[in-house]
Amino acid sequence: MSKSFSLFKSILWAIMGVWAVVTVARFINGLGATTGLTDATPWGLWIAFDVMAGVALAAGGFVLAATVYIFGLEKYRPFVRSAILTAFLGYLAVAIGLLYDLGLPWNIWHIFIYPQHHSVLFEVGMCVVLYLTVLALEFSPVVLEHPWFDRPLLQTIHKTVKRLVIPLVIAGIVLSTLHQSSLGSLFLIQPFRVHPLWYSPMVYVLFFISAIGLGLMMVTLESLVSGWFFGHKIRTELLGGLGRAASVVLLIYAALRLGDLLIRGKLGLAFDGSWQGSLFIFEMMVSAILPAALLAVRRVRTSVAGLGVCSSLTVLGMIGYRFDICVVAFARSEGMPYLPTWMELAVSAGVVAGAILVFIFFIEHLKVYENDPSEHAEPFIPPSDDIAGIPEPYPALIASPRRYSLIAVVTAALTVGFLPANAVYGPQPEQNPVSSARTVDAFEVPLEGNAGRLYLLPGAALPDAAPAGAKHTAVKVMLINGNRDERLVPFNHKDHVAKLGGDTSCVQCHHQSIPFDQNTSCHECHRDMYETTDTFDHILHVHKTGGNAGCVQCHADEPARKTRDTAKSCQACHEEMVVEGSRIPPPEQGLTGFAPGYMDAMHGLCIGCHEDVAKKGDKPHHARCDTCHRPDTELAESAQFMTGERAVPGRRPQ
Amino acid sequence: MIDDNSTFAILTDTTLCTGCEACVAACKNENDLGKDQMRRWKRKIDDLSSTRFTTIIQRPGGHSVRQQCRHCNDPACVSACIVGALRKTDEGPVIYDGGKCMGCRYCIMACPYGIPRYDWDKPVPYIRKCTMCYPRIQEGRQPACTEACPEGATIFGTRAEMLAVAHRRIKDNPGKYLNRVFGEHEVGGTSVFYISDIPLGFLGWKPDLGNEPLPKLTWASLTKVPPVIAGMAVAMSGIYFIIGRRMKFQAQGALEQEMAAAASSAQTPQGDDASGKAEPSAEVPTSDDDKASENAEPSARAESENE
Repeated sequence: MSKSFSLFKSILWAIMGVWAVVTVARFINGLGATTGLTDATPWGLWIAFDVMAGVALAAGGFVLAATVYIFGLEKYRPFVRSAILTAFLGYLAVAIGLLYDLGLPWNIWHIFIYPQHHSVLFEVGMCVVLYLTVLALEFSPVVLEHPWFDRPLLQTIHKTVKRLVIPLVIAGIVLSTLHQSSLGSLFLIQPFRVHPLWYSPMVYVLFFISAIGLGLMMVTLESLVSGWFFGHKIRTELLGGLGRAASVVLLIYAALRLGDLLIRGKLGLAFDGSWQGSLFIFEMMVSAILPAALLAVRRVRTSVAGLGVCSSLTVLGMIGYRFDICVVAFARSEGMPYLPTWMELAVSAGVVAGAILVFIFFIEHLKVYENDPSEHAEPFIPPSDDIAGIPEPYPALIASPRRYSLIAVVTAALTVGFLPANAVYGPQPEQNPVSSARTVDAFEVPLEGNAGRLYLLPGAALPDAAPAGAKHTAVKVMLINGNRDERLVPFNHKDHVAKLGGDTSCVQCHHQSIPFDQNTSCHECHRDMYETTDTFDHILHVHKTGGNAGCVQCHADEPARKTRDTAKSCQACHEEMVVEGSRIPPPEQGLTGFAPGYMDAMHGLCIGCHEDVAKKGDKPHHARCDTCHRPDTELAESAQFMTGERAVPGRRPQ
Repeated sequence: MIDDNSTFAILTDTTLCTGCEACVAACKNENDLGKDQMRRWKRKIDDLSSTRFTTIIQRPGGHSVRQQCRHCNDPACVSACIVGALRKTDEGPVIYDGGKCMGCRYCIMACPYGIPRYDWDKPVPYIRKCTMCYPRIQEGRQPACTEACPEGATIFGTRAEMLAVAHRRIKDNPGKYLNRVFGEHEVGGTSVFYISDIPLGFLGWKPDLGNEPLPKLTWASLTKVPPVIAGMAVAMSGIYFIIGRRMKFQAQGALEQEMAAAASSAQTPQGDDASGKAEPSAEVPTSDDDKASENAEPSARAESENE
């Protein structure tokens, strides 16, 4: 075991640390808090990579099992065990990744009691469950042959499973055929969302064939990597055989995919210059055409470098195929892009790292890599191992269980520090700070039929709704943040003052003033468009009441826990907080310092009055939304007024 | 099959809608949905969401179009649901049973109108969408939204009635409406119709969704499952049997050859032609690199099976 290998293991354990923390955040605070998923992208990285690509990458298991057990190509037997182990761990990773993605993972067993056989997903689910069982049985002899399991009952099972190996392999092939293809069928129902270059009525055939090619290349890549780590002899002559088969399979895949597009007349889309077209060409080159062409050359497929390049290309390309059809070339609403969060990546990476660590554990403890029967190789010696505490040939500092634990704990701690607020406290509503109203010069134009008034900036053209010879009056108009399609609400303040009763009418709307202020503007307390704002300044009150000695002034009930609920209401001290004659009814429990969202506050203030006016009869339109939120007002286009200034919580804008 | 006289439907006339959102308010009240909040997964506060089952979409030119679940006759979401948590009722509404749901969200993926919403903000999330007020329909009342509409822009009745009203309005007001009842045939027909003076393609993922029910597309592949199971199982067993036999003969042949060689005889063994389907042994020397090595160890499997 080399230093690079222990470094590799260290990295895996570091990922596991991050993964553990994100797992807790995911299950406590839900999908919205930890993922980038939206209603426009209900399936993201976890489905595309962990499930779609995961199942495809594990295809090596059934391909190799078929090659050796059914087709009798005995020389590939050395790869069978590792391929089946990879498949087993791959499917286990798929199942675990799925648990993260499901909203109600504890209901996963409902698939058995509420089967819905019209759903492709039901077929996929059942096949995966059954195949996982088959794989566990297929791999069980490797575990059971270990001396530790030398018990009569276990050995009976061992022998039974060995006798059943051919039926198991056939069952595995049938199940794999079904669900490898059905993963593609999942997209048949979305002809409107999957891009035409990826959508195909025979997408299940493409998924199945690409899975075979990918499975072969995955076995190759795995053998190369483990050969490199453990210093095995890489049997390029055998891998070359797999490469040759993969070359044919990939060529069939490419021909079918392109032929299907050609027959249905969609192939032209690949060359229309769109990014999807370029992506399609890139994906086809990387996943199938390049590796198929390269592997057809004998010199390439019998060299380690050639095999490495080809298998990497296919693996990446075929993962790309799954990604493209599921996420990338999948239509979503405009303005709702999907970008996975780092937490989604951490879970995917964590599941893979976990699977690799278990794989390594099996390699270190069990006879996963069989010897080539044709070679007179030296007997298999498991690589020296740190987990079991066997003395290591390298200093304990480089790698030891303690070291790995430390790494995992450190990265976990770091992750806690980096978790975004949403993942820690649950998803918070987004803030929409309200900008202060501004006063500008404008013209007021009455509309026909008492349908309200129009406000125009100087120089603006008269819209159709205004009568031709309408009188223009120069007025000061306040632009209120209406935040409805970026529209502002023009508000004639002077007019309202006059209608509500002149100079003494301020209190009707300006129901509360902050200290040393008169007629405090609405947005100073109602700071967010939709969300309630807490305007209570605790530090200020502590200071004003004389530090710690002052607690009892508000928190009168001393033994009770000091919260807002057990404290006095604000009005107990600030009697003048709600001004007499105000149109705002104080809440039943008294003012608590919470200001409702700006929209609710303004609607609550204005609509009551406007409805009263409308009921009187002469202004029937007065209570309609478009009396204030006028689509035809030229001021509507003055949205730039909103961007200049933002209310700073707790401070008055200068 | 859908009986137009016994299933219910909603008809929305966009030319009558003023965008007052009384339907939205009634829906929120009826379903106890609470306050809308601006969230990462929404573009606007009044997008459809888990707290808003219906909304008014403002289109250029002062058009207001109500968006809601279309309650398709052959719903993609129902066919996609892995556990049957979504169900098309005889009365017309497509309803959801959260107790069965496992949260796979395939229904959201499958819906051609992009309607189902998810409780993204909750650790125990459910699918949320319009139920056409199914409990009210069972009581013989109409949905809250149609009851609340002050303009009669959205009305409720049996599917046959609503279609008749829609066609009559189009016929009686030539030039006012596009000559089409949206939802009559779309994706196999829906239980929510629109008549409009503007195209309503924006309500679906593509302007033209076609008249074919989407579940047919998947059913075409699902019907292939039993033949694939049978076919693969028979093919694999057959290949195993044939290759096994062939290898046995080859092994025998090799043995005979050895014996023959030992007896200094130059006779050619005839063993492997007996299986009929197996390739003649003459191919062995001419076969390519793979097959050569395959045939080099003919007895290996026989040994490994008897381990």
